[in-house]
Amino acid sequence: MRDLFRIGNQELSSRFFIGTGLFPNPHVQKEAIKASGAQVLTFAIRRINLESARDDSILQHVQDEAYTYLPNTSGARTADEAVRIARLARASGLSDWIKVEISANERTLLPDPIETLKATEILVKEGFTVLPYITDDPIMCKRLEEAGAAAVMPGAAPIGTGLGILNPYHLGLIVEEASVPIIVDAGLGTVSDAAQAMELGVSAVLMNTPVAKAKDPVWMAGAMRLAIEAGRLAYLSGRMEKKKYASASSGYEAFKLN
Amino acid sequence: MKEQVIVMGGGVIGLSCAFELRKRGHEVTVMETSRCGGQASGAAAGMLAPYSENVEGPDAFFQLGLESLQLYPEWQAAVKLASGHSFEYTNSGSLYAVFHDADLLAFEGRQLWQCRHGASSRIVEGGELQRLEPNLASNVRAALYTPEESHLYAPHYVKALEQGCRLMGVEIIEQLEQLAVTEWQSEIRVRAADGRIFSGDRLVVCSGAWAKELEETFGIRIPVYPIRGQICAYEADALPVRHMVFSSQGYLVAKENGTLVCGASEDVAGFDTSVTDKGIERLRKWNRRLFPELEHRDPFHRWAGLRPSTQDGFPLLGPLSSSDRVIMAAGHYRNGILLSPATARFVADCLDEKQTVECKKAFSPERFGYL
Repeated sequence: MRDLFRIGNQELSSRFFIGTGLFPNPHVQKEAIKASGAQVLTFAIRRINLESARDDSILQHVQDEAYTYLPNTSGARTADEAVRIARLARASGLSDWIKVEISANERTLLPDPIETLKATEILVKEGFTVLPYITDDPIMCKRLEEAGAAAVMPGAAPIGTGLGILNPYHLGLIVEEASVPIIVDAGLGTVSDAAQAMELGVSAVLMNTPVAKAKDPVWMAGAMRLAIEAGRLAYLSGRMEKKKYASASSGYEAFKLN
Repeated sequence: MKEQVIVMGGGVIGLSCAFELRKRGHEVTVMETSRCGGQASGAAAGMLAPYSENVEGPDAFFQLGLESLQLYPEWQAAVKLASGHSFEYTNSGSLYAVFHDADLLAFEGRQLWQCRHGASSRIVEGGELQRLEPNLASNVRAALYTPEESHLYAPHYVKALEQGCRLMGVEIIEQLEQLAVTEWQSEIRVRAADGRIFSGDRLVVCSGAWAKELEETFGIRIPVYPIRGQICAYEADALPVRHMVFSSQGYLVAKENGTLVCGASEDVAGFDTSVTDKGIERLRKWNRRLFPELEHRDPFHRWAGLRPSTQDGFPLLGPLSSSDRVIMAAGHYRNGILLSPATARFVADCLDEKQTVECKKAFSPERFGYL
């Protein structure tokens, strides 16, 4: 089954976006990324060697595959800062995709919606393919879409917490209203969370910590890939209705002796 | 009870374990397949920097590193005394340098947890940063200054450990080529390539990147991979660098002998220990971003070693449940020098049954499962 989706001018088949940070070593990192089947990799611009991305301590290990890079502006506290480092990333030839990530609080790292909207507006005008990371607020997600975001990335829970989807109701609404891909970004902890996100109808999920911090990151990357595929298939299949009481799986007719 | 202990591996971890065990009165033999300190130990820059090396937060690995950093003043003095050798041990403090405004948010988080764990870290910028490290590039936006971190000269430290062990009566046997553990439950028997058999009561496995070879023997998964570290040094008499300087791409540290040591790559290259132009050129290009005066200098020395990295980044530490005759101490990756005193103490405590293993559960050698 070909089940593709589109971001900007790119068609993607993998619904797993993976972060490159936090892995115990480059060997495990490389193998885990391979096992994830991901086509899109994300990383913090501020940590990258922008003068020579090929030499970068992390990116040098993923050069041999054709990944789409999704650099992020993590650490930015204002729209201005985010725009500035987004321009640096594009100028270095890394990518014209940008994940806008603007946080004002070092403890929760929750996104600042006002600054995120501002940065999205500016970067869209400058021709970037913009994927903003945002709280799971249906109205805010719609506003970002209207501002020209190529995809919108609501968080499931704060970054790195592994708490899973705190507000599935909101996420469901966001998907219902959206006409661009919705990608759950941040806060997932394990495979059931990833499957749940896909069952809610999002187009993809972005993860880093649940894979990198597993005891076996390579196996976990493969497990997540399967969960995402399973969740997607379940969403497309349509689940049964919930009922209050038991009912035999074969109707009475089947048991009649005639 | 005094026991006959065989230590497999003469790197910094093996020698430290031997040193501590001998100090406690055990009979110790170190078995080394080539020569002591030949791999990760010899390639190390000797950074004692648990705060700077753990950018994400205070996990169990950080705790072990901190315990070790705090053991160091006494430990290094004991090694010097026992060996009669001196080596550089400098309490220089460290600077973690960054280039973007966007780095400051993460710095605030790091400063917070570092200070809750015994450091007096602070963010320095502008004139203060200039005064602390005058030759640092002016476009470095800020640095996280951690005064508690130190460094030592690793080759001399490892030599002193080896000498100290010998003088205290540890038997060190090198060039054994290949070792096979032939008995480990009722007693310990290890066979060398030349057919010689060594026996003892207990076995401490400190074979670093080679620990994986023992998977079949012990029936457990030992996912330790060699990651090559390339490193280089400049003559730097005219370029004083006062602190260890870390960044996202590498680090620089000035040694007492007038060299500026710069590391390190993390290459996936199997057991190949060669130095590559690409690897060193990468370091060179980055170094001049931190210290523009390095623009026209060439490193006079380049070398490489294999660091033992595990699948989750934590070492394998502690006795096997199937036989407490065997204690693992391998997979210290980039932090073998730092972790040597805490590892030695922990291994000796396990052997002397002084400590429950509970507190080091995150490092359990069986956590990756059985074959």
